[in-house]
Amino acid sequence: MVPLSWYLALSAVLFTIGVVGVVIQRNIIVLFMCIELMLNAVNLTLVSFSRYLGDVTGQLFVFIVMAVAAAEAAVGLAIIISLFRNRETLNVDEADLLKL
Amino acid sequence: MQLENLGLYYWAIAPEIIVSVVGVIIMMVDAFSSRGARKLNAVIALAGLIAALVSVVMLDGLGSGSYFSGMVVIDPIRIFFSVTILLAAIVAALLASQFLKDEGLPPGEFFSLLMFATAGMLLLAGAGDLVTVFLGLEIASITSYVMAGYRRYDLRSNESSLKYFLLGSFSTAFLLYGMALTYGAAGSTNIQKITAAIASGQVNYPALLLIGAALMIVGFGFKIASAPFHLWTPDVYEGAPTIVTGFMGTGPKVAVFAAFIRVFVIGFGPQDSEIGIQLHTTWVTVLAVIAALTMTIGNVIAISQKNIKRMLAYSSIAHAGYALVGFLTGDFAPVAFYMLAYSIMSLGAFAVIQLLARAGDQRTEIADYAGIGFEAPALSFSLAIFLLSLAGIPPTAGFMSKFYVFKTAWDMTPELRWLVLVAVINSIISVYYYLYPIVVMFFRPLVPGFIKPRIAGMTMIALILTLLGTFYLGIMPNRLMNAMSRPPAVVTQITVK
Repeated sequence: MVPLSWYLALSAVLFTIGVVGVVIQRNIIVLFMCIELMLNAVNLTLVSFSRYLGDVTGQLFVFIVMAVAAAEAAVGLAIIISLFRNRETLNVDEADLLKL
Repeated sequence: MQLENLGLYYWAIAPEIIVSVVGVIIMMVDAFSSRGARKLNAVIALAGLIAALVSVVMLDGLGSGSYFSGMVVIDPIRIFFSVTILLAAIVAALLASQFLKDEGLPPGEFFSLLMFATAGMLLLAGAGDLVTVFLGLEIASITSYVMAGYRRYDLRSNESSLKYFLLGSFSTAFLLYGMALTYGAAGSTNIQKITAAIASGQVNYPALLLIGAALMIVGFGFKIASAPFHLWTPDVYEGAPTIVTGFMGTGPKVAVFAAFIRVFVIGFGPQDSEIGIQLHTTWVTVLAVIAALTMTIGNVIAISQKNIKRMLAYSSIAHAGYALVGFLTGDFAPVAFYMLAYSIMSLGAFAVIQLLARAGDQRTEIADYAGIGFEAPALSFSLAIFLLSLAGIPPTAGFMSKFYVFKTAWDMTPELRWLVLVAVINSIISVYYYLYPIVVMFFRPLVPGFIKPRIAGMTMIALILTLLGTFYLGIMPNRLMNAMSRPPAVVTQITVK
């Protein structure tokens, strides 16, 4: 049987890939995919804990996370489209009207 | 059949149900009525929010308890934070009517989004389980992303919405990972059960719990705009329509503070076990440093701002820092009082800015305010009062809330007195940038092209409400403070039904 720590390590690695992607990528769609990757890494953690603890809450939590991620994707893509209509670019560095 | 036997107590989530149903009703009314149903939508929204406010007050009469297998709780934290959220939503709804008319934006979607955002925030304030915390936070956040981009032909609004969305979902992922690790360590997502597990020392991997708590601090820290997770705030606040900025800067922040208190102050409170002590001292130290950083960064950068919305964005960062000082006292009352006072004065200030900015937020530079003091005296004096209140000058709400937070922190946590000193020094620094727009308004020659704004009836009501609130909390805070000073121990002793 695969021990719990392997699942946790895999999800930590996936989460880190997502974080690094958000930090270094410049295309909005890729950024968005990296965030989805982070959420799915969390789902893996939840499911593996759920199995390890013999408790169903973790699995139910995953369903809620997936539903929320879908809603977030719908809104996110709508925002990206409205920005693209006005500016015709998908590069976050060009969304620079408001200076940090 | 008894619904109670199934563990369904619908009245326990009555405010959330009312607000969500009204949101759907507004969508329906908007679909089946002519284009000019703006006033009707506003009235329905206000009626719904007031009904929800009444139901929150009625919930208070039922005493503390936890429902839906511990998913939702009723306790003083929920009551006070829900009232603040609903008041912020009422003021936002009052202001929205004129904003939507002046900008020619569709009203139905705006009011229903406002309702759904409020429902999410109310759920967040009443969440007794990490699952409901996540759900409430996301309902509130996703609707706020849309509201920030509501002026969809305006590039600034698009950018604000995009940045809010990307950084908001990024931070949510951290929060969620923290929740997952806490679940693994404590074996439950219910906050009371997590507390019980920590108190008895039955934690699977203590390291996981500490990492989980750290990740949750990152997630919550993003949402309340505390340093070093505050970088999104100025851009998002500047680009969003002013009325949305006012609502975003108050409602979600209040709700996240409620959940933050429930997870950390109550959930991860001081316990006798080894892991409990370690966890508590660690997060208190980390948050004390974050609070000091947040106040200092917010105030110092606010000084150099030329745009009043950006200035207020940094000011809101600083205020999150002051509220965190109250947070560290281990009592919810100072934070609840602070957030109520902050919401009232901040919304008032944004209401005036909205009126002076004209359609499309064209005039938001501080230089645009030159000499308007005696041209538009009602607005200028109101703005001056709100800014003085934000600075903490007596006899306003800002002074009383700061005094309450600092006094409680000084008395209850002697080891954090250095933080109170930092906070007091910061409030003194902040007076400079709050006074600057007032000086510009009253003592500079009039800027060319100034047109005195029209004030619609509902906007007037909102301004009067916020002004009255600012003075009421500043002069007669006793009643509210006494109501809040019920012992927080009551909160922790709820049994899961």
